[in-house]
Amino acid sequence: MSLAQKGRRVALAGLLLLGGVYVRALAFTPVERFQGPAQKIFYLHVPAAVTTELAVILVGLAGVFFLFLKDPRLDRFAEASAEVGTVFAAIVLTTGPIWGKPIWGTWWTWDARLTSTLFLFFLLISYHVLRGAVTDAGLRARYGAVLGICAVVLVGFIHLSVYLFPTLHPQPIVLRPGKPGVPPEMLVTLLMSFGVFLVLYVGFVMQRYAIALRRDASAHV
Amino acid sequence: MSEVPRNAAYLVAAYIVVPVILLAYALSLYRRSTRP
Repeated sequence: MSLAQKGRRVALAGLLLLGGVYVRALAFTPVERFQGPAQKIFYLHVPAAVTTELAVILVGLAGVFFLFLKDPRLDRFAEASAEVGTVFAAIVLTTGPIWGKPIWGTWWTWDARLTSTLFLFFLLISYHVLRGAVTDAGLRARYGAVLGICAVVLVGFIHLSVYLFPTLHPQPIVLRPGKPGVPPEMLVTLLMSFGVFLVLYVGFVMQRYAIALRRDASAHV
Repeated sequence: MSEVPRNAAYLVAAYIVVPVILLAYALSLYRRSTRP
């Protein structure tokens, strides 16, 4: 079985498991008293955001190692992870405003967390545009590595932005020092969803890596 | 005691949008990987 086929199976499993998360979130997780049903967007928005950050951190790490080792596998992985991170960032930027409208009374506000997340999305788009514009494989990989490392710095800023600036966006309730700030039944649903997003990430990256591998193989023929 | 807000339409919208994005991307990957 090829890498692309394996990736398809993993991604399919992730999509089916996402159905399980929907059942768990909608039928077996309590409705939050102050926010109402819209609060359950949390179980998609937060795991998508954390997986985006993870994807970008891995792009940056692959970039650092690529600059030292010049291993094309690292560049292919970074390219794949960046593309999947872009898709998850699109989910964050779509579910965020849908959640924000009933809770904050507005679809969007230009505060530090939201604006920097939008910048990250644009940076990821520019990463793909840059890679598409450079025909030399070595240069493309080097430029990509540098831009990937810049994206990691932005991820750090995004995570700290709710502490550094006054913002409508809530502070982290799981990825923070001390105990998580949600009831156990909500935490279990959140962690299940995070696990499913990780499965989807792995399945998508495997497929995207296979596409890059095929491109590189045909370029050497 | 305050009443729980009625905003399930937003929940439904978000829960539809996410699989649409994921399926669209999965389809895009499938088409690119099976392209001759």
